[in-house]
Amino acid sequence: MGPLAAMVYRETKIRSTNVTFLFFDLFYPLLYLLVFGVGVNAALGAPSLPAGLDYNSFFLAGVLGMATFGIATNSSWSFFLDRDNGIFLEMLTYPMRRSEYLLGKVLFNICIGILQAVITIALGCALLKIRLEWRLLPILVATVIGGTAAWFFFYSVFALRIRRNDVFNGVVNVSYFVLLFASSMFYPLAPLPAWFRAAALANPITWEVDLFRYGSIGYGEPRQLLLEAIAFALFALASFAIAVRSLRDQG
Amino acid sequence: MTQFALEVQDLVKVYDRRGRPPVRAVDGISFSVRRGDIFGLLGPNGAGKTTLLKVLTTLLRPTSGSLRMDGIDVVAQPLEARKRISMVLQETANELFLTVRDNLLTFARFHGLDSRLARARADSVMEKFQISSYAAQKVQDLSGGSRRRVQVSKVFMVDTPVVFLDEFSTGMDPILKRAVLGYLREESSKGRTIVLTTQILGEAEELCDDILIINHGKQVARGDLNALKLLSAGVYEISLTFAELPPAIDADIAALAPLRSRIDANTVEISLKVEEAKVLDIVSELSKKGRVLRVEVSGATLEDVFVELTKEG
Repeated sequence: MGPLAAMVYRETKIRSTNVTFLFFDLFYPLLYLLVFGVGVNAALGAPSLPAGLDYNSFFLAGVLGMATFGIATNSSWSFFLDRDNGIFLEMLTYPMRRSEYLLGKVLFNICIGILQAVITIALGCALLKIRLEWRLLPILVATVIGGTAAWFFFYSVFALRIRRNDVFNGVVNVSYFVLLFASSMFYPLAPLPAWFRAAALANPITWEVDLFRYGSIGYGEPRQLLLEAIAFALFALASFAIAVRSLRDQG
Repeated sequence: MTQFALEVQDLVKVYDRRGRPPVRAVDGISFSVRRGDIFGLLGPNGAGKTTLLKVLTTLLRPTSGSLRMDGIDVVAQPLEARKRISMVLQETANELFLTVRDNLLTFARFHGLDSRLARARADSVMEKFQISSYAAQKVQDLSGGSRRRVQVSKVFMVDTPVVFLDEFSTGMDPILKRAVLGYLREESSKGRTIVLTTQILGEAEELCDDILIINHGKQVARGDLNALKLLSAGVYEISLTFAELPPAIDADIAALAPLRSRIDANTVEISLKVEEAKVLDIVSELSKKGRVLRVEVSGATLEDVFVELTKEG
């Protein structure tokens, strides 16, 4: 059995023994869609969206983005748990490359990400009458995979370089607020002030959520999406390279 | 194939610290370890043992020097090196959320063991370490001593040619410790090379074929037990048990300027570097201080050598 499979086995064993992990991994974003999405749709509507597009359909991409983000922050936090248990350093002496260590964790996260997306989309379609553009499903799946990986690598860099749990939590909380709200996750960017729109366009969450939005309901400008896809891939690769580097000299 | 499992040449590890002078934790150490040997790495706290072990196990990259394991360059091919090692860290290291059995099976999976073989080994290892009755319990629910058993038992799940043990016996009860010393000897006789650090010098004395003593990151002494004891020729251990501890005996002992001394209930233990002819005079003088029930005089122990070689000033 290869190191990637061994890592997936380990993560599965650990996660499956903890109901809280499972709940957060699988259902938390769905609740966001059902509570926040339905509330906004009913109370405020979506006046700046094109005709025929309701807020629930628009917000589905945001929820999928939030899900990949959430898996990444939970999973990177587990580095602290592993450090506290002493197993982190021991694992770095196992016969695998540093990149395999990270990719094994990502492989497990992707499995969870896909399962979570399936549940969210299925219930979103059934309960909120969201109509998916099935012909764009490959883009949706690719974004789940890329998004889950990119955010995990990004937060791993912080989890590996910051040795204090409380400092890491501070970084996650602040970045959670800034990255999620200064993006296209909750609202369309067109009506926003210019400075806010510029900040949102430079935000990798926007790139990811725009791809989700196109992959789910076909909303978006293809040329801009292509640029965003390239930028997001570069963001993922750079985060991966820095995370692998951060894993060296952890002793 | 080289006869050495480990070959270390001029190894240096410097920690650069922001705003403070760098620390040379390992400072030009060279040694080699023969296959199948039990090699002891000794030194006082902060001597550089754990840093050296971390470099040997690819957890840290050396600042300079060369390091070969089974003839493989550890720095250039860390993955190949990791395929040849298993390690027990100084800190307890377990998967707390997994059961004892799953801890062993997960470890085996990472080391590429076939799952049927892994299950069979897990049963035998749990038997050996007397943890079979906890097999289905999560490690987080076990006592500190049992967690340590699980951790140490993992290296017996695999056949890596080199095993690193960083103060492995911490938290083990004396009976299990004795048994583990026996298991380590068995593994060594099968050809596995064992590199260990310990603060318990009796353990090293009993187990190690070859010993390296380091201090401040530098080699202080190297050799087998007999060779090391020669470094401390003229050191004697005197143990006197009095019927009642004489008053001011501690001042009498201090006047002898011992290498180390200990008073435990009515027993006085002193380690002295003196001419052989004077040993009996000292015993005779001390015996006059009170009624003596038992006298024992012996040559230097590894502890004497260690204290003499690593004492400051």
